[in-house]
Amino acid sequence: MTKKMTAAEKNAAIWAWAFITPTMLGLIILNFYPIFNTVWQSLCKTGDFGRGNIFVGLANYSAVLQAPETWQSLWNTIKYALIEVPFGVVIALVLAVFLNKKLPGTSVYRTIFFLPMVCAPAAVAMVWRWLYNQQFGLLNNLFHVKVGWINDPKIAWISIGIIGVWSIIGYNMVLFISGLQEIPHDYYEAADIDGATGIRQFFYITIPLLSPTTFFIVQTRLIGALTVFDLMFMVMDKTNQALKQVQSVVYLFYQYAFTNGNRGYGATLVMVLLVFILIITVIMQKAEKKLVFYN
Amino acid sequence: MKIRKFLALVMALMLAASLAACGGGGAPAPAPATNDGEEAAETSDASSGGGSSGASLQVAIWDNNQLAGLKEIADEWSAQSGVPVVINVITWDSYWTLLSSGAQGGTMPDVFWMHSNTAQMYMENDLLLNLDNYIANDADIDMANYYPGIVELYNSNGTQYAIPKDHDTIALLYNQAIFDKYGVDTPTDDWSWDNVYEAAKAITEAGAADGVYGYAMNTSNNQDGWYNFIYDYGAQLITDDHKGTTIGSDEGKAGMEMVRKILTVAAPQPVVAETGTDSLFQSNLCAMITQGSWMINSFYTAEGHDDYKWALLPYGDANGNGECDPGERQSCYNGLGWAAAANTQYPDEAYSLISYFCNEAGQVKQAELGVTMAGMPGISDAFNNAFPGMDVSAFNRIEDEGTLYFRPYTRNTTVWEDKIQQDAFLAAWLNPADESVMAGACDAAQAIIDTAIAAE
Repeated sequence: MTKKMTAAEKNAAIWAWAFITPTMLGLIILNFYPIFNTVWQSLCKTGDFGRGNIFVGLANYSAVLQAPETWQSLWNTIKYALIEVPFGVVIALVLAVFLNKKLPGTSVYRTIFFLPMVCAPAAVAMVWRWLYNQQFGLLNNLFHVKVGWINDPKIAWISIGIIGVWSIIGYNMVLFISGLQEIPHDYYEAADIDGATGIRQFFYITIPLLSPTTFFIVQTRLIGALTVFDLMFMVMDKTNQALKQVQSVVYLFYQYAFTNGNRGYGATLVMVLLVFILIITVIMQKAEKKLVFYN
Repeated sequence: MKIRKFLALVMALMLAASLAACGGGGAPAPAPATNDGEEAAETSDASSGGGSSGASLQVAIWDNNQLAGLKEIADEWSAQSGVPVVINVITWDSYWTLLSSGAQGGTMPDVFWMHSNTAQMYMENDLLLNLDNYIANDADIDMANYYPGIVELYNSNGTQYAIPKDHDTIALLYNQAIFDKYGVDTPTDDWSWDNVYEAAKAITEAGAADGVYGYAMNTSNNQDGWYNFIYDYGAQLITDDHKGTTIGSDEGKAGMEMVRKILTVAAPQPVVAETGTDSLFQSNLCAMITQGSWMINSFYTAEGHDDYKWALLPYGDANGNGECDPGERQSCYNGLGWAAAANTQYPDEAYSLISYFCNEAGQVKQAELGVTMAGMPGISDAFNNAFPGMDVSAFNRIEDEGTLYFRPYTRNTTVWEDKIQQDAFLAAWLNPADESVMAGACDAAQAIIDTAIAAE
């Protein structure tokens, strides 16, 4: 391409660059540089305060992959995602369908369901921590039971997952509502005339036409759930006996990189998580072609 | 549609504000602006007219209980020097994240606290201001006057990087009302851990219906809890050369066996893990805990503080003769240090403030105000009177009636400190009825510490 640009094209190109540059700078400084730095650190025995890193090849990787706690925490993370994503999506979808109707008070309910989203996650976790408290918590005292919601290793992961679902429903719901409003009303009118019930309309019109939105939510929430950290960190004391069965990969990363000061090991842990998320994403992209209906 | 426009504007402003908060790079002030939303900042107003030199100091600490007193001392210094001081309180965890990020990025606070967990790392990497010349030229500071364990802690290869700020000790805290209610005799200075066990047993049994426990201790109550048992019975968690441990020895196991015995009549581990020993005590659901002098204020200001009494830390009757022999009453002591950043813009002012905090007058004042006991022995008597209505002399008396040992540390303390709490002793806390579990936990702790030290 040796064709010279016209003045107008040149002008357009300059403006294009002017608009792109801030975003690009942000991406390079805040995303790309840290990514490559993390890769580099995962290959090093890191020194204190980022000084004196010694290249050790794959030593960190062999240590991380051989540690049972790595696999346990990866499994914990998957279990969390298995609760948060399906329940977060299904409940939000049902709520969205109801709140999309022209009924009095919908905006009040929309606000109520969205409220958890605007609360600081740390504050949310603190409140739940006390709700779940075995001796003095509201839950146990309300139902007169003695369940160790967050210290029984068998159910602690579910309790954490419930907080995750509760926090995310509002956000998913808003996305679903916007998706619902893009579905042309004609389809429902036609279905009405043909005598389809509300339930059938939901399964044969709403769900297929909403699939791009659903896919987007599932994909982003899956990645979000796999990188969960704050819930475990805030809700569970570090001497909680269930911690090992609940701590996520990012929690483990925090423990090694920040508490123990072993950045190299921590970096390796997040690289393992990154690879795992990449695999999941590839599978999701393949599934998209089959399951998602774009009109 | 006006509302919608207004909302959009508000959202845009919030977005801009959050972006600005994230990217606040080039600003010279290293103030921790957006960490957890849990900080408090206090600006000294003594010289709001602005110092002639234009200097100002950023100070970072992690204990909100000490803010008011330290601010008062800092204000005095500001009035003399004309340099304003801003004290930022950051929670313990965030404090170290902030400090290490600041160390890496070159934006540390000017003056801040150092702690035994991390001091070595900061000193070896030349991140702290070398105070040797300043101390040599300062008539007010003589390192020989301070607790030797604290001086040694903040000294690396013959160079002093921080000056002792304070020292803390441990005492037994009990709730008079609970003892009265169940008709149990209250702790005295002659109590051994066996007496604690008997009292805890009586209260836990009598209070079962009310959900009241006689005692509470978690695996994370180390410095203020089970560490002291190990030393009472003649073992050391970390040996004097900081290169080993004797927790797996017979003495170590004897100390932890005493802990185990008390745990059988104390609040179960899941309860203390979820609710916390301090909360249990302050909810009047626990009769006794051990606590450090740095926590006095939080109990002094608590709702039921009229019933809270401090007793001398009990001793471990290792030889079983029924009296406290030398070495059987051991309290951990620790001391923070005031340090300055190596790259501070105002090293002279920073040292001057440190000297003002740490010289004898500043230390006495600190004790008077009830901030903490002093970093030098023998001048903390004023601390006894700093809490009208509450007798806190137990923290000072242990110096005469017991032995102080310095808080166990190695180069990378946090690596084994968390691990022995979570991996070694948690099982024993969960199952205190079984003696062999606790003995096994001691062996596990021995292995964890040995491995961690070998990797340092």
